[in-house]
Amino acid sequence: MKKVLAFFILIAGMSTGAATLFAHHGRGATYDMKKQVTLKGVVTEVAWRNPHVAIYMDVKDAEGKVVNWAFENSNVSTLARQGYNRNTLKVGQEITAVVNPSAAGTPRGIVVKVILPDGKEIMSRSSGANPVD
Amino acid sequence: MQSRWIAALMLMLFSLPAIGQNRFDPQDLSGFWLSDVGGHTLGTKAPPLTAEGMAAMKGRIPDNLNRLPGNAPWYACNPMGFPRLVLDNEPVEFVMTRNRVLQLFQWEWTLRELWTDGRELPSGDNLENLGPAWYGHSVGRWEGDTLVVNTVGLDERAWLDNPGNPKSFYARIEERYRRTAADTIELQMTLYDPKFYTAPWVGAKKTYKRMPAKDVTFSGWKSLYSGNTDAICAPMNEAEDYNKRIRDPAAFGDKKPR
Repeated sequence: MKKVLAFFILIAGMSTGAATLFAHHGRGATYDMKKQVTLKGVVTEVAWRNPHVAIYMDVKDAEGKVVNWAFENSNVSTLARQGYNRNTLKVGQEITAVVNPSAAGTPRGIVVKVILPDGKEIMSRSSGANPVD
Repeated sequence: MQSRWIAALMLMLFSLPAIGQNRFDPQDLSGFWLSDVGGHTLGTKAPPLTAEGMAAMKGRIPDNLNRLPGNAPWYACNPMGFPRLVLDNEPVEFVMTRNRVLQLFQWEWTLRELWTDGRELPSGDNLENLGPAWYGHSVGRWEGDTLVVNTVGLDERAWLDNPGNPKSFYARIEERYRRTAADTIELQMTLYDPKFYTAPWVGAKKTYKRMPAKDVTFSGWKSLYSGNTDAICAPMNEAEDYNKRIRDPAAFGDKKPR
């Protein structure tokens, strides 16, 4: 597999709406919705199933150590209605993911958007198009 | 004179479609409906609990916007039970049959049977023999154009609502469904549970609106999941996968989940 230059940058102080992130799974304080993390790396697993789709990816930190991150998404049907499916992201694919990180400081997050190498943005949560309840 | 008749006829003809749209059988609740339920509660303040009611709530940790995930039974794929499932703002289909009204819920992909064949609500030894059930035992009858449903025999382990309020096996919950327009059903729910509460708990009136036909699809009702993307809570998905690999590391880090 081609080695990629991977990194992540913490961007603090960015505000996003958290009010809708509370339905069946009580994510109230699970993620820090005031922070965003930009992850660049390689997809290692696509868990395309309910209750929430999860994407796993290997990301190199500042010291070059590989950390396996995972970020959750909406449910299968909501993503399907937007035209995404279990083959949209593939194992081995390079992506950049912007996520709200885990409040516990673990390599987990909830999707803000995914950016493909050609710059195309997908699975964006902005403007309510991809609610994550 | 003639022109007046023509005007009256024209008015009648133009009025017909409008009249047609508004005509409905108030005792036909069939169709797909979505309620305006918010917060997954009865929508009014709970009466004070009895000592037994307080004991039943012990150990329950509800979700809260400022707290981590609680320990509601549904996180381990236990049934939400009645009335919690009805308090969800998920699509429900009403099916009218000769002897029952069926409620088919998208969430959990489960059903309630509301018996309308004149049978009595279980009580005494009959109720004891039936024992507790996640969705209880329900009997319905028409009072004019109001479908009155009573449910007893509820499983005490199921939470009544998201805050984790209890209800006892000896509780009775009355639902009053009234179709007030072609596209509207109103629901009033009241909990009678002297074992756990010091007074009856009258819920807020809730409104169901008929779902647009375009929202009922193979990929789900209201663009949520059913059919090929089902809403069945499977422990292999929920407890073993999502909770262990995503939710718990994100919420609790190295600490033990609640």
